[in-house]
Amino acid sequence: MRLEKCWFCSSTIYPGHGIQFVRNDAKIFRFCRSKCHKNFKMKRNPRKVKWTKAYRQLHGKDMTKDTTFEFERKRNRPERYDRNLTEQTLKAIPLITKIRHDRLEKHISNRQKPGKRKEMEKDSKELDQDIGMLPKKLISNELAAEKTKVKVKVVQQQTEDNAMEE
Amino acid sequence: MAAFLRSKCPSVGRTLMGGLGNSLFGAANSSVEAVTRSSHCDAISQQIRTFIQMRTNLKVVDNSGAKRVMCIQSLRGKKGARLGDTIIGSVKEAQPRGKVKKGDVVYGVVVRAAMKKGRSDGSEVQFDDNAIVLVNNKGELIGTRVFGPVPHELRKKKHLKILALAEHIV
Repeated sequence: MRLEKCWFCSSTIYPGHGIQFVRNDAKIFRFCRSKCHKNFKMKRNPRKVKWTKAYRQLHGKDMTKDTTFEFERKRNRPERYDRNLTEQTLKAIPLITKIRHDRLEKHISNRQKPGKRKEMEKDSKELDQDIGMLPKKLISNELAAEKTKVKVKVVQQQTEDNAMEE
Repeated sequence: MAAFLRSKCPSVGRTLMGGLGNSLFGAANSSVEAVTRSSHCDAISQQIRTFIQMRTNLKVVDNSGAKRVMCIQSLRGKKGARLGDTIIGSVKEAQPRGKVKKGDVVYGVVVRAAMKKGRSDGSEVQFDDNAIVLVNNKGELIGTRVFGPVPHELRKKKHLKILALAEHIV
């Protein structure tokens, strides 16, 4: 059993899923689902289709160079069965996936940071400049609320004192 | 299926649909479906791939001399032949100096089918075209070479000679 990669979207194809298409030059195209298969039949280039891994890696949206990818490289030489090795590998797989996932998230958030900073600056600037654009009722209500807040506090203290006195 | 077809292609006569036997119904099925689909989707690649039946044109991928064979009978299956099955065909096009000539009735083993075949591990395989290799009625190959990829379904059908001569086994 081997987990293949979809030719179109690069997701893993688990056993029992997908279709293999064999072209007459003996090149095998594996697809994870009919969506990818149909896109292939339409002769779409995965490097131009936005939701595929090929596009994302080409346009720098997802990380391309990482040591965690080395673990998944295809090795055609079969390994002699060793129980210890198998156990260790099985334990390592979820760890590696987690690390890769975390690094990928970091890469994406780093990529989005300058954009977020720009958004914050823009919002704060808008608040400074255009606070007058808010309806007067809202602003005055806010100020009134602050004033009433203060009032209530004092009243409570007075009643407490009265209670204490009594 | 019939109801679906009737709604999709009113041009096909009632008598034609009713009068067709079982084997021909399938042929009309696939060809009509292909026509309606291609007119709807405007893409030949969206065709429904079905069995290899009477009147199916197949490519010959050995050096027996024939180039195109038209299936006259599928020796297995009511609906038609699939990957790995044997068929009887009539040679429609042949090379001038070959072991078979045009008009010969020959047996052939289907080595590539555009219809997907399920495998025991759950995967499905599909080829680009329909291709056969000519065989005599005992099952021995007429040609001495086989071109193109060949599936390993043939091993189960005991066509080991074809596998031995194949360029690429899928």
